[in-house]
Amino acid sequence: MSDHQGFRPTPSFGAPMTNAIEMRGVSKRFGPVIANDDVSFAVKKGEIHAIVGENGAGKTTLMNILFGLYHPDTGEIIINGEKVEVDSPRRAISLGLGMVHQHFKLVPSLTAADNVFLGIEKTRNGLIDHAAQIAQTREFSEKFGLSVDPEAIVANLSVGIEQRIEILKVLVRGAEVVILDEPTAVLTPQESRELFRTLRGFTDQGMTVIFISHHLSEVMAVSDTVTVLRDGKVVGTRPTAELGEDDLVRMMVGRNVSFSRRKRPRTDGERILSLKSIWARDNRGLPALQDVSFDVHGGEIVGIVGVDGNGQTELAEVISGLRHVSHGEIVLHGQKIQDGDPRLVRHAGLAHVPADRLHRGVDKADTISGNILMGRQDEAPWSSRGVINWRYVRERTEELIKRFDIRANGSRTLVKTLSGGNMQKVVLAREFSRAMPFLLVDQPTRGVDIGAMEGIHDEIMRQRNEGAAVLLISVQLDEIMTLADRILVMFAGTIAGEVDADTATEDEIGMLMAGRNLSAAAAPTVNEAS
Amino acid sequence: MEVLGDIFNLALIAATLRTTAPILLVALGGTFTTKAGIFNIGLEGQMLIAAFFAVLGSIWTSSAIGGVLIGMMAAMIFAGTFSLLVVTLRANEVVVGLALNILAGGLTISLTKAIFGTRGSIVNPDIVGFAPVNIPIIDDIPGLDRVLSGYTPLVYLAFILVFVVWIIFYRTRLGLHIRVTGEKPEAAEALGINPNTMQHIASLMCGALAGIAGAHLSLGYITMFAENMSAGRGFMAVAVLIFSNGDPVKVLLGCLLFGFSDAMALRLQTFGFPSYLVLTVPYIVTLAALFMLTYRQRPKIIRETLESMSLVRRQEP
Repeated sequence: MSDHQGFRPTPSFGAPMTNAIEMRGVSKRFGPVIANDDVSFAVKKGEIHAIVGENGAGKTTLMNILFGLYHPDTGEIIINGEKVEVDSPRRAISLGLGMVHQHFKLVPSLTAADNVFLGIEKTRNGLIDHAAQIAQTREFSEKFGLSVDPEAIVANLSVGIEQRIEILKVLVRGAEVVILDEPTAVLTPQESRELFRTLRGFTDQGMTVIFISHHLSEVMAVSDTVTVLRDGKVVGTRPTAELGEDDLVRMMVGRNVSFSRRKRPRTDGERILSLKSIWARDNRGLPALQDVSFDVHGGEIVGIVGVDGNGQTELAEVISGLRHVSHGEIVLHGQKIQDGDPRLVRHAGLAHVPADRLHRGVDKADTISGNILMGRQDEAPWSSRGVINWRYVRERTEELIKRFDIRANGSRTLVKTLSGGNMQKVVLAREFSRAMPFLLVDQPTRGVDIGAMEGIHDEIMRQRNEGAAVLLISVQLDEIMTLADRILVMFAGTIAGEVDADTATEDEIGMLMAGRNLSAAAAPTVNEAS
Repeated sequence: MEVLGDIFNLALIAATLRTTAPILLVALGGTFTTKAGIFNIGLEGQMLIAAFFAVLGSIWTSSAIGGVLIGMMAAMIFAGTFSLLVVTLRANEVVVGLALNILAGGLTISLTKAIFGTRGSIVNPDIVGFAPVNIPIIDDIPGLDRVLSGYTPLVYLAFILVFVVWIIFYRTRLGLHIRVTGEKPEAAEALGINPNTMQHIASLMCGALAGIAGAHLSLGYITMFAENMSAGRGFMAVAVLIFSNGDPVKVLLGCLLFGFSDAMALRLQTFGFPSYLVLTVPYIVTLAALFMLTYRQRPKIIRETLESMSLVRRQEP
């Protein structure tokens, strides 16, 4: 990291430092959810300012307010010392702001130059002056070191180049302050490094850069100042040079993680799930899992933690048969499942509580009993000779509604009328009642209130104590520390380390989450069981 | 050989161009809605209603051009209704398109009865049609005269419009914005282009061209209106639009294929060959093209090799 210090401008305290952007007391609610709570921070002119926080911390909402996409409930925005109303993106652009969204808005069939000038086309005699657009795109791309072929069709370009086009769009419209939302989420490491060189070039020319990230190493390497958000509030704004990565993790995750570790009997189960050197690609074809190996035994909860986006999603998908592995072997209950489909994996012994409850967990439009039936409609006594035994389905559903304390008005209640916590209990009731040897539980309490959370934790513990092997994936460190027997920390698609949940400290886990290895003596081998 | 010579001659080329023209006109109209991201199954109805009103307009104004303009207006009213329901009120485009097609069929029959007191067709000496146009220089070249000269004006217009539509799509802001609306509406919106406005404009332009196509049917080679005289040409255009994705040059090629098989079918009938088999060829081509397009887009499974794995490892920062 020290090699990056070299090109950071030395702050000159004598000269008056003007703030390019200042936000004061900004709050924004979406229904009952507070996305931003009294947020105040300032961005100095000519600096690279990183906004850091976990998913759902309110980073994107804050930037969308700044760019005029959302209207804040309270608070004010000051640009170059003047209080302004940013009521639309158009206004934001006229104030010299430019935003590169996380999801690009390029038109695949058009050329780079056409995309750059879309909406502000140059015309001659009523026809589009393609030559002028190409020339000017080339000029901007050379001036700012954003190498792009203006005549290339966007559909044939890599994501990194697409991003450059998005940045050129912003520059051509005259932006002085460039806001980037998770700019590296879609880039390869080399592309990221190149992007950061470009951004440093912007500040050298007197422009200001704000970027949202949860990749701590790049925040450390690139930014001058960091603002950390947690639960919609500002935790602090600090010069990057004064911070270590573990300080950042602590600020992001919260200094005092509150949890009371569940008491547990010792268990000694056989190996139920085994991953051997698993590789997988993400939706863009980039490596998402690299050489991941671990085992889960009966009667234990293995917790997976990591900053969101380090391969946890893909890990859950390959285990549940929703994503093809590109290499490696997965054995579940003695059966190889790595080339299987979800149906085969479920028959082999998987009960799955997916992270995306609404899309993969339930059918919102169906009743509770319909959701409980899902996946076992071919099994007796749920059905016989192809006809569903609704009386049995309803009886079992009523039973499960009682056992899992689902607050609903009977088995015919539509799932979409339930609260998030009760919806999750429907998923849990269906999956846990199948008595499978292996449970994959992904973000079980996301968006669930505290009361329901306790109940869900009780159920997971009960399954463990009854001998099931549980793989628990969560971005909530306290949840993992409460429930897990062993903790695996994921970083950049690999298992960065394993810690014993009884003795682990947050610092230890935080360092692994930030991509730093523990000292060789303290680090146990990951593949111990194989 | 002699039979083949009788089938494949200059007259066949001329017949192909003639049968292509109405399909081409309506399909070029459909390029606007296709590019704007609307699946427009209502072309057939717009064409039919225009054919009827072109006859009516021709009688009222005693001019073929007047007939075309009134036919275009009728089709544009249909197109405006279509986009009002589909774009503004978010109704299902297939349902609305089909409903308007059925409405056009029924309305033309009822109006024929109400206005002319007849059933089936309107044959009236007051209908002014288009006379064939001979192009002076080409007329002096033997061979070419039979292929390139002697068509009614709307046939020439159809082929000229291929270039005009191409210019609109690829060289003007309007065309660019229509294309962007269909391909990536969120990109259009983010850059201050209103996708709804673009779709309304596209639908009206489609109506205008479908109107010319309809007028060509009733005022071109025959000057009469007959029940259901569009005879599925609007649906042929839809088929062409699906595999051409609204590109004017591909539309031209697709329409020539339909026109050619139409002309062939007519010809082969006189030789006792089942013409229906020939008529299926363009549809088979459409199906095959669609299959190939989607087959190329199927998801691929990646397998790591030793090389790819070590490559990833080296990339680690």
